[in-house]
Amino acid sequence: MYIYDMKKRSMQEPTFLILTALAAGPQHGYGIINDAEQISGGAARLQTGTLYMALDRLSSARLVEPDREEVADGRLRRYYRLTDEGAALLGAETERRRASAAVAAQRLSVRLAGGTA
Amino acid sequence: MPARDPAGTAALERRYLRLLRCYPPSHREFHREEMLGVLLDTARPGQRTPGLGQTVNLAACGLAIRVRRIPGWLAADAGQDALAVVSLIAPAVVFILLALERGAMNAAVGARAPFWTLLPVLPSFGESVVVMIAWLAVVVLGLTGRRQTAAKIASISLTLALLALLLVLVVLIQQVHTFYFNTFPGELFQFLPFGDVPVVLASLAACSLALSPGPLRGLAIVGWRRACLMIAGLSAGFGFPALVQLADPAAPLGDLAFSLLGVLAIAVAVAVTRVRGPVGRRVAGLVATGLLPSLAVTELSGRRVVPAVFLVPNPLLVSLLAAVLVWPVAIVSWRGRAERRRRLAEPDLDFTVVYAEVYAEFQAFCARRRLPASSTRQLERAWDAWQAGRFRRGEISQWPFYGDNPFRPR
Repeated sequence: MYIYDMKKRSMQEPTFLILTALAAGPQHGYGIINDAEQISGGAARLQTGTLYMALDRLSSARLVEPDREEVADGRLRRYYRLTDEGAALLGAETERRRASAAVAAQRLSVRLAGGTA
Repeated sequence: MPARDPAGTAALERRYLRLLRCYPPSHREFHREEMLGVLLDTARPGQRTPGLGQTVNLAACGLAIRVRRIPGWLAADAGQDALAVVSLIAPAVVFILLALERGAMNAAVGARAPFWTLLPVLPSFGESVVVMIAWLAVVVLGLTGRRQTAAKIASISLTLALLALLLVLVVLIQQVHTFYFNTFPGELFQFLPFGDVPVVLASLAACSLALSPGPLRGLAIVGWRRACLMIAGLSAGFGFPALVQLADPAAPLGDLAFSLLGVLAIAVAVAVTRVRGPVGRRVAGLVATGLLPSLAVTELSGRRVVPAVFLVPNPLLVSLLAAVLVWPVAIVSWRGRAERRRRLAEPDLDFTVVYAEVYAEFQAFCARRRLPASSTRQLERAWDAWQAGRFRRGEISQWPFYGDNPFRPR
């Protein structure tokens, strides 16, 4: 149902950042936050509550799943990985964003060409 | 993680743990340790208290997850059982409230006026008797197993009451700047004989009768003694103003102290319904919707109707909204039951073929724990229980809810 909803409307930015962070390989919560910040060029820093709410939703939709657990500094670290369904959805979203960006670039170039002419 | 003093870290950890109580217990059980780790990792050196933004974020996300789980909470078996209990008690409470209200009105009018002056209002007394007989029929039909007929009568009465309420609201909104309650045209109310039905409770009664297994199932769950206690408690709580007026017709009902006492009485009555376990919690939650109109305010000063009828919560408007919102809640619960029925009717999976490699182990687990495993739904539960045991022993890394279950619909 969630996948159906997401196909109908564009993916939210935190969801996109989390899926992108997990695309390269399994990561734990703190790693996802840092990676997401890096991916967005420092523009977006995920809050812990937002991250785990998204992970809860994505896990229910089977787009991500727990990979393994480690103990670091006496604290549990759970790693999450992207499922095949999650990768497919991220691919579709990437394609959609790329198409939108291409249209925007094309229109901007027309505008610039008109301005300089 | 930046270095910090142990006392400060312990204090911060304690405060984060307190904040994590905003999350549902099942979420906390699985994510608490790792969330705490991330929160401490992202804390500034020397930080001893969570920041305001983080506090708001954690509280809002915890609440959002709780809200997101409400449909599942209602669609569980307990949701259906709760609706069945409500279908038993709500019609009886509506009937008693109608009787109490009529009695209170008689007492109030009779205390101030001679008998012959009451003759013009006798027709409306007759109409309210018709409504009372209709709700008595709903109670009797429900208890004799004719749930659908009871639901139809309750729905007709509710529809008329809602239409009357809507009409009153429309007139109020149109004339709110010029009329006071005490100068409101009496002719209007003569055309609205069904307006005195408590619409939120009537809505609960009608939808629970229509969408649940019925009062007999509710009776089997709570028993006669507890059912009578619930009905008496709720009638006393919701009928508090009428009871006060019966005892003393000159009691100042518009007084704030009386309003607060009324809300308190209803809250106590709702607490009475809280039978142990998940069914009781759901019954209390459903019945508590009746509290909403009591919490709304109409009069700010004296008897003047507040001009901005939408700015200040209006009991009539809140009643209407609550009565309408009861239905989607019940439909979610009913759909859960329909889904379970559909799945029970499906042909069962041939487990020996689907998961041949673990068949013997799973079968041994079911036999050892004496778990029923003859339908797909029973197998789904048994599989989760088996996986939960394996997760606790460290044989698998996936929490059962997130892991694959061959019997769960996808």
